[in-house]
Amino acid sequence: MDSSLVILIVLSLFLGCGCWLVFLWAVKKGEFDDIERPKHRMLDDDDDKPGKSKN
Amino acid sequence: MSASPAPCFHCGAAIPAGVLVQEKGPDAVLSFCCRGCHGAYLLISGAGLTDFYRRRDWQEPGLAADSFQSSFNAPYLARFVHPAGAASAIDIIIEGIRCASCVWLNEKIIGQLPGVQEARVNYATGRARVVFDPELVTPTAIFSRIAEIGYRARPYTSSAAQESAKREQRDLLLRFGTAFFLTMQLMAYSFALYAGYFQGIGAQIKGLLQVFSWLVTTPVVFYCGWPFLAGAWRALANRSPNMELLIAIGALSSYGYSIYGSLSGGEVYYETAAMIVTLILAGRLLENAAKRRSAGSIELLLGLCAGQARRFSGDALETVDVAQLAVGDLILVGPGERFPTDGRVVEGSSDVDQSPATGEALPVVKGAGDEVIAGSSNLTGALRVVCEKVAADSFIARVARLVEEAQSRRAPIQRVADRASAGFVPAVLVLALGTFCWQYAAVGGGFAGSLMSALAVVVIACPCALGLATPTAILAGTGAAAAQGVIFKGGDILERLSRVNLAVFDKTGTLTCGLPEVTGVRVATGVSAETLLSLAASVESGSLHPIGKAIRDHAAGLGIPCPPGTELRGVAGGGVTGLVAGERVAVGSARFLAEGGVTGVPDDGTLPEGELVVFVACSGSYQGALVLKDRMRQDAPELVEYFNRAGIGTLLLSGDRQASAGQAAGVLGIATGMGDLSPAQKADYLGELRRCGAIVLMVGDGINDAPALSAADIGCAVAGGTDIAIETSDLVLVRPDLARLSDAHRIARRTMGVVRQNLVWAFLYNIVGIPLAMTGRLTPIYAAAAMALSSVCVVGNSLRLVRLRLVRYRRG
Repeated sequence: MDSSLVILIVLSLFLGCGCWLVFLWAVKKGEFDDIERPKHRMLDDDDDKPGKSKN
Repeated sequence: MSASPAPCFHCGAAIPAGVLVQEKGPDAVLSFCCRGCHGAYLLISGAGLTDFYRRRDWQEPGLAADSFQSSFNAPYLARFVHPAGAASAIDIIIEGIRCASCVWLNEKIIGQLPGVQEARVNYATGRARVVFDPELVTPTAIFSRIAEIGYRARPYTSSAAQESAKREQRDLLLRFGTAFFLTMQLMAYSFALYAGYFQGIGAQIKGLLQVFSWLVTTPVVFYCGWPFLAGAWRALANRSPNMELLIAIGALSSYGYSIYGSLSGGEVYYETAAMIVTLILAGRLLENAAKRRSAGSIELLLGLCAGQARRFSGDALETVDVAQLAVGDLILVGPGERFPTDGRVVEGSSDVDQSPATGEALPVVKGAGDEVIAGSSNLTGALRVVCEKVAADSFIARVARLVEEAQSRRAPIQRVADRASAGFVPAVLVLALGTFCWQYAAVGGGFAGSLMSALAVVVIACPCALGLATPTAILAGTGAAAAQGVIFKGGDILERLSRVNLAVFDKTGTLTCGLPEVTGVRVATGVSAETLLSLAASVESGSLHPIGKAIRDHAAGLGIPCPPGTELRGVAGGGVTGLVAGERVAVGSARFLAEGGVTGVPDDGTLPEGELVVFVACSGSYQGALVLKDRMRQDAPELVEYFNRAGIGTLLLSGDRQASAGQAAGVLGIATGMGDLSPAQKADYLGELRRCGAIVLMVGDGINDAPALSAADIGCAVAGGTDIAIETSDLVLVRPDLARLSDAHRIARRTMGVVRQNLVWAFLYNIVGIPLAMTGRLTPIYAAAAMALSSVCVVGNSLRLVRLRLVRYRRG
């Protein structure tokens, strides 16, 4: 009972750490510098987005 | 002509009579107000981006002044290009971005230029970063492209201050994010412990959970909370208790208490320590967001400063930086340009608008031998000017030094939260000491037990919501103000504005429009007012002079058709002549007309202060006269009345003559009007008023107001004024609409009311807990409840401010 609790807690800490590292990476890359524009960007035409077939 | 035609398809502004460009669109004929807008439409439709017109959401029609700039200085722009990998990049401020579609249009239009690899426009700041291949495209081409679709582009470099602000913001975000993740982990353990408190829990598991709690709390307190610990240390060193000290005491005491608790098998308060730090960081983040938003808006209001001058080297002209000008250099200043430094006219004559520098509303004639002041603008003719001062000694530079001096004398005010904490910290410490003595001596709790009770008092007394109390209200308040077109440069400005008891105004450009307007028409016998205005407006059709513009606007406002005259010729300080329908028309001063052989011009007589009369003659015979005046802004009396009603004193300080200052004050109901003041005198006078205990709000717009704006407790600049005034003020009205200032004052008072309520809420639940702690009956569940309740109350109360503004502050 005790050991399963310890394993689960440690596992959750690792998960949290993973998220935290992603967050660190995002801040360093400047993902939070403009938080206004992205919410409008999805409404634009995405015909020039990579991965979409060009017509 | 009274029925107004459809507005311009591109910019949405009314189409002036006579200027109409039409283009057959896909469904209908489209009208444009000028060739520029037409060109913009052709470019946009040619690029297949007509969707823009369907999707855009412009609150107001029209384009920024000086849109469609046609020429850019290539070497100047080249200096702003910096390498970005294999390509080059340039940062551009795009003026005129008003909706998400503007961002989309600019990104597409720039992106379609061959050689441009990436164009990203930041919607919030209006700044673009363009990455391009220097082999294929030049910065000039990019700038011209933006200008062609009706936006203003200027290069941008971030200052050292902005860079450090950005670093600080990232640092704060990292600390907050880390604190947030760790606190989430912590809460899971805490909930298990709460459950254990009610249902019972094995000592081993309890110990285990406490160890994990300690593990995640330690970095929160010592890494994330480091700024507060450092701030608290400084406060302690200065012996001035503030909010940071209270926070640090609270966090450290609960952390220390919890470590003792874990070791002795007692209760822990780790979540209190972690939550205090996390919430304060959240508050800082909110406050920073408000500050950054206003910094971005201000940047957009600042115009492109001259920065450059055209200097004669021999017979040729070269473009040089203003800083390179030496005393004795001969420069050319064209119509519409600003004088880069103080100098003396050697050739040419022109009307010069000195209002930003002196406050005189009407232009002054400058001819050979006259002095010109840096910052004033040349209106009608090209002038050759010999520099008499280097730029670093010019009038503007002297004003800038006065501003610096005034700012260095400005003491930061102690904020409400700090004032509240300053009283609270000693009170809590005394209570804790009292608890210890009482427990030890009277109850007999033993040394350790008594110490823990005393620490518990400190733990419960520190309000977690304290860090949120001010920032949430200020974010809501500045947001409400921004929606009204008022930018507060910081949260403390709201606080100062709410306590103002004296409002000081500049006259020209602030209370008055700063531009003459036609206020009266006197006609000679047998002439109709329409004919007179039509003649005058036709002759003035090409004039840059404010009087010409006033006459044209007046005629256009009345719907009077005025075909542009031909052979137009202006004489600085005199007037204009030209041919209208084959007849020679002259508009100007009585002397100008008399020199042109016109007879029967009546004597000006004595004019009221600040008025000006322009006479009109046609084919040598006198037709009538127009009276012009620098008119009061329509909302000026309302604003003065608002301040008078609110019990705030009013005062007018002007650089203009005493007589016109006194008259303007009288008309508006301002108690005192003082004129003939230099920039330094204005600032000194405000300093004196402040020493007498007044909390001064200064409203101004000119260069000559800048020192006074920074010497006052709050400087308020009106947009459309000079850059230096906007930069030095704390509060900016985005549009020259004075009613917004009274809105700002109301919002400030309301926001500070909410801040005070928030502080009461924040402290209240914790104060209730103090007796529990004193008797040693405090439990973690109570501390958690107080934490949650006070935070919810504070945030909810601030949100009330956001909702309320919709009802109360919306104006017609």
